[in-house]
Amino acid sequence: MTTFEEIYKCYAPQIYRVCFGYTNDADQAKDLVQDTFIAVWKGLPGFRNESQMGTWIFRIATNHCLRAIEVAKRMPAAELPFNLAEAREESPEEKLSILYRCIAGLEETERIIISLELEGLPQAEIAVVVGLSNGNVRVKIHRIKEKLAQKLKAYEQFR
Amino acid sequence: MNNLDDLKSLWHTAKTDSLPTAKEMMQLIRKFRNQKLRSKWLVIISSLVLGGLITGVMFYVHFKLFTTYVGSGLMAFSSLVLAMDKMMSIKRFYQLDDHSNIDFLAFIEQTRKNQVYYYTQTMVTVVFLCSVGLLLYVYELTYQHPLWCIGAYSFIAVYYAILWFVIRPRAFRRDAEKLDATRRRIESILNQLK
Repeated sequence: MTTFEEIYKCYAPQIYRVCFGYTNDADQAKDLVQDTFIAVWKGLPGFRNESQMGTWIFRIATNHCLRAIEVAKRMPAAELPFNLAEAREESPEEKLSILYRCIAGLEETERIIISLELEGLPQAEIAVVVGLSNGNVRVKIHRIKEKLAQKLKAYEQFR
Repeated sequence: MNNLDDLKSLWHTAKTDSLPTAKEMMQLIRKFRNQKLRSKWLVIISSLVLGGLITGVMFYVHFKLFTTYVGSGLMAFSSLVLAMDKMMSIKRFYQLDDHSNIDFLAFIEQTRKNQVYYYTQTMVTVVFLCSVGLLLYVYELTYQHPLWCIGAYSFIAVYYAILWFVIRPRAFRRDAEKLDATRRRIESILNQLK
């Protein structure tokens, strides 16, 4: 039996990245991680291994993201172009910030799907988390990647 | 930076060392685990205690008039209805997490409908039963003293008028806006998944 501490150590960074991808805000992402693991802690005794542990935790995390209406109101929208005057090589942190901003410009479910994809979840597992068919998820991921590529390209053009 | 593998590598460079440790998270969980449900539990416990108290008084004190028993019964029943409604709400809350995103949105929509039902049906029933119960209950205490009777009934009338025509519409309007925002948001998210 896996202990809560082991589960937390294993999944907290992944959940944080997904929540950060959704909110584009470190503090809100931390709050969502906390809410997620409170729910995990509560639900762990009743977890019946009907799905994989990871799928279950990602479901909880993404449901908390969708539920956070107040988060949605405060979420920083992606404004492109930004820092127009600064045409220079970005640091990895800046590149990551650009990626988050571009993701923040997507719709809620697109943000969730692309965050799970970037996190490396298999598409079948993403389908279980979101509740769509595998085929549908594959098509959506393809479209979201195109959208994201366009946003990133738009940013590069304005640099 | 457009290549997906590059994006994945970049994605995994996000710093996560500011997250609480497992030990700190356990402390946070102990602190916050029941905070969200605290107000619901408070309503349940208060309603049950009040209902129990009213019922206890009904059995231990011998009233002269039948109206007092009917009044007590109605007030106790209204407390029970309120407690049961909140218990069902808590039960739903505990089932909340084990769903896919689509099922979860349907669940939230059902919760929203339940909240509307609570405001338009359950709350009206509870307040009506409790008001009638109180009016009947007070009668035995005051019917031999006309002045007390007028005073007590005037006080009750003013109290319920404020509750019904001032406090309830305000609370309902405020929560109706929130519920409507939830409905619009759920509709928008569900459209994204079509």
